[in-house]
Amino acid sequence: MPESLQRDLLPGTLYMMILRTLQDEPLHGYAIAKRIREWSRGDLEIDDGSLYPALNRMLVKGWLKADWGTSENNRSARFYRLTASGRKQLEQESTTFKRMVRSIQLVMADR
Amino acid sequence: MSWWKAIGHRIGHFGRRSRFDAEMDIELRFHLDSQIDDLERAGLSHEGAVAQARRRLGSRLRTIEDARQAWQFRWIERLASNLRYALRQCRKHPGFAALVILTLGLGIGANSAVFAAVDAVFLRSLPFPEADRLVHVYQRHPKTPLTQTAPARLEDWNRLNHTFQAMTGFYAEDVSETSGDLPEKLTQVWVAPRFLDVWGITPALGRDLSPDELREGGAPAVLISDGFWRRRFAADPGAVGRQLRIGGLSPTIVGVMPATFQFPIRDADVWWPVPFGGMWAQPRMRAATVYFTVGRLKRGVSIAQARADLATVQSQLAKTYPKTDADLSADVQPLDAEMVRPVRGSVWLMFGSASVLLLIACVNVAGLLLLRSIQRQHEMTIRASLGGSRREVVWQLLTETGVLAVLGAGLGLAIAAAATRTFRVFAGSLPRMDEIRIDWRIALYALAAAVTVTFVCGLWPALRATAGNLNLRLLRTAPRHGTGRHRLQWMLAGIQISMAVTLLVAAGLLVRTLQEIGRVSPGFEVRSILTFHVSASYAETTDYRRMTERIDRTLDTLRAIPGVAAATTVEALPGIPGRAQREVTLVEGRSEDQPKLFADNRYVAGSYFETLKIPLLSGDWCRQTAAVQAMSAPRPPMVQAALVNRSFANVYFSGSSPIGHRLVDAGGGPGALISGIVADTREQGLNAPPGPTVYWCFSAPGPTPFFLIRTIGDPAAIAGTVRRKMKELEPARAVYGLTPLEEHLDEAYRENGLRAVIVAGFSISAVLLALIGLYGTLGYLVDTRRREVGVRLALGALRQHIIGRFFAQGLVVATIACAIGLGVSVLFGRLLSGMLYGVSTADPTTLGFVAVIILGGAGIASLVPSVRGARVEAVQVLRDE
Repeated sequence: MPESLQRDLLPGTLYMMILRTLQDEPLHGYAIAKRIREWSRGDLEIDDGSLYPALNRMLVKGWLKADWGTSENNRSARFYRLTASGRKQLEQESTTFKRMVRSIQLVMADR
Repeated sequence: MSWWKAIGHRIGHFGRRSRFDAEMDIELRFHLDSQIDDLERAGLSHEGAVAQARRRLGSRLRTIEDARQAWQFRWIERLASNLRYALRQCRKHPGFAALVILTLGLGIGANSAVFAAVDAVFLRSLPFPEADRLVHVYQRHPKTPLTQTAPARLEDWNRLNHTFQAMTGFYAEDVSETSGDLPEKLTQVWVAPRFLDVWGITPALGRDLSPDELREGGAPAVLISDGFWRRRFAADPGAVGRQLRIGGLSPTIVGVMPATFQFPIRDADVWWPVPFGGMWAQPRMRAATVYFTVGRLKRGVSIAQARADLATVQSQLAKTYPKTDADLSADVQPLDAEMVRPVRGSVWLMFGSASVLLLIACVNVAGLLLLRSIQRQHEMTIRASLGGSRREVVWQLLTETGVLAVLGAGLGLAIAAAATRTFRVFAGSLPRMDEIRIDWRIALYALAAAVTVTFVCGLWPALRATAGNLNLRLLRTAPRHGTGRHRLQWMLAGIQISMAVTLLVAAGLLVRTLQEIGRVSPGFEVRSILTFHVSASYAETTDYRRMTERIDRTLDTLRAIPGVAAATTVEALPGIPGRAQREVTLVEGRSEDQPKLFADNRYVAGSYFETLKIPLLSGDWCRQTAAVQAMSAPRPPMVQAALVNRSFANVYFSGSSPIGHRLVDAGGGPGALISGIVADTREQGLNAPPGPTVYWCFSAPGPTPFFLIRTIGDPAAIAGTVRRKMKELEPARAVYGLTPLEEHLDEAYRENGLRAVIVAGFSISAVLLALIGLYGTLGYLVDTRRREVGVRLALGALRQHIIGRFFAQGLVVATIACAIGLGVSVLFGRLLSGMLYGVSTADPTTLGFVAVIILGGAGIASLVPSVRGARVEAVQVLRDE
């Protein structure tokens, strides 16, 4: 189930979900992946191999900034945080996404 | 945790890419370890957890590669988008773009054209293999300016040194070649042994001279030039092996030199080896000055080493031959530098001027960009608020400048191509100038100039435009009017004016030099003199008596033409520089230890002084014509009468009279009687003071001397009559080169003129750019203060007063800048001093003239915007608010 969901993930939703996990606090890569899994109650599993390229693309786009910091278990890790334009992007995408999901639900509703 | 430290250390050492990889590696390892910990906590065995975590992460290298690509791709994408944006800006503001492109095109074009000359003259090596090993070797004697050496000494140098691969020498002579239907005048170069070894080239056809042909009494053999081969043999390969007929000998052609071999003497036809031996080997001939000597250094030998080596050799020779070699020293110079010495100063001057012009263009463009950046402040603020970092915005602005600079460089190359074509036409006779061309090196130079320009004039405005917190600026809608920024703009305008002033002063001094040379009284008649040649064969030199009779007969015919006041022949034209002084000796009356006599030796017909109106000071004219003895060698016969000029008498006969003494030319013989003293003239060049001169009275120093006639009317008008009369007298001969003496003199000073014209062109462009800069600065200031002016007018200020204040501001800056420019000119004026004649580097006329032009121009450039600034209608401005 997680595998197939992952493959069919709507384009752009990976970025959106990463942005969402970072809305409240900066996180390192592993925590981002873990949080997505937990929040989806284990239904969504991000492929670790595609997480980091995605993070780098988001850095390039200027949505994220990365700083080296110390993790909970006292090791050095890279923490990602939202920039102003990242926050704006999240707002925009989540609005569109929610509207689209609602619309699709309406179309697909049991009649 | 030493593993981390090791990585950390490596991070510091490696470049960006490996640093990125290392950081990714740390990050992924952290990810993996965290995953393993979590899985173990969930109950998996250590091995199982490791395996599962590894599987989830996949290939670490692949992941790093993918992540890195995110950045690489972006770099190109950003550049492309920057370029797109820059081009859109150009299209949106075509006026601004055109102004910048034109300004930079002018600056880069002038600079690239002159760089092409620098490249040809200084940077490109001579067209020989390993040309940097070629040197000019010469001797110095404290008492003579001559640097040629004797064949015997050349052989000694070549034999005794340890630093040269080989040395050779040469000298040129005009000879008559008589194997064809008609005798032909050839330029023959006598060459010492090892000639081709030194140049490092081989004949294009045939072979080099064999040892047998280089032996005294060996078979006579010659190499011929490509030009002669085509002209005479129609490029027939069978020419090799044929015989020529020169001076009673029949040398065999053994080889044809390649067309590119145009050095040392460009129009050489024949190279004839001079074996060492016989007369030249006699010790007394060591005093002769024959060969221009060229050597090829061994690999890795420096000029200093060669110099030291030759000094040792020459000190040995001084002991062996104290009589001839004691006072001599030997010196070595790189051959390429030696060749271009005459034009070196001019080329550097032009390069300097062109660089100042480019600098002015840069400052000008920097000013324009600064103004633009103020207008675009709003745009900058928006870009910053959209998440563009300062670095990104600066890069964007630099890309825009870069696009304009590259377009400017393109325009500049087109200008340079046109300029160099003109250059080759006008300066083709100067050394190596014919090699000037626009090629990839020049294109590369122009491109490098564009990149430099981008940073020099783009970086500062870009940094200023993005300085401070961009986000906060959104609050202000109007441009900021800080006085600091205005001070900066005034400074830029002032710098341009100062630099333009220095160029204008240089140009002014060069023009004044031309004027002074033109104003010099040469001491001889210039205006109404017509010069020409009458064709003749060098074969005539086998019978000097007939040749002299023929030339005298021609002179008589010319004198009989109505409108001709006088006629003469002369070996070399007066007032044309470039002849070395030669030694003369008195037959009697001077002892060995007295200083040697050096004089400019001129062969002239007796009527020379009458024709050129040179007055006789004492004694008598040349009464005797030269006694022409039967001569077979191509050397002028013994001249029996001579005149000397006043300098000669003053320098060598202070107090006593030289009249009645007998003089001998270097050749020896019975000597010519000094019959009189004539006034000093500037025979050696209009810009050279007269020096000791001996006039040998002989009308036929060669078969084709210059004929000079003084006409009563316009010299050019009588040309037709001269041709007609000559046709009646000598139907088989052609009259050619009919040119007024004035034109010859103009031609001789063409380099001076060209130099002055080019620097003047640069300086006029510079002044225009600087004035445009001033105009733009004041115009901007006026615009930003529209509102203030409106308010003040409404409060009753006088319009004249406002004009006056703006105007004064422009003029004060111009005056200060002009004063600084003049000061700099006087300080650096000595760079020019070698090219000036008759004016000092602080010439008050020139400096005053420059100040008037600059301040006058600045006045106009300031007045226009000032008036415009005060024409504001108070009501209109207040309504706009």
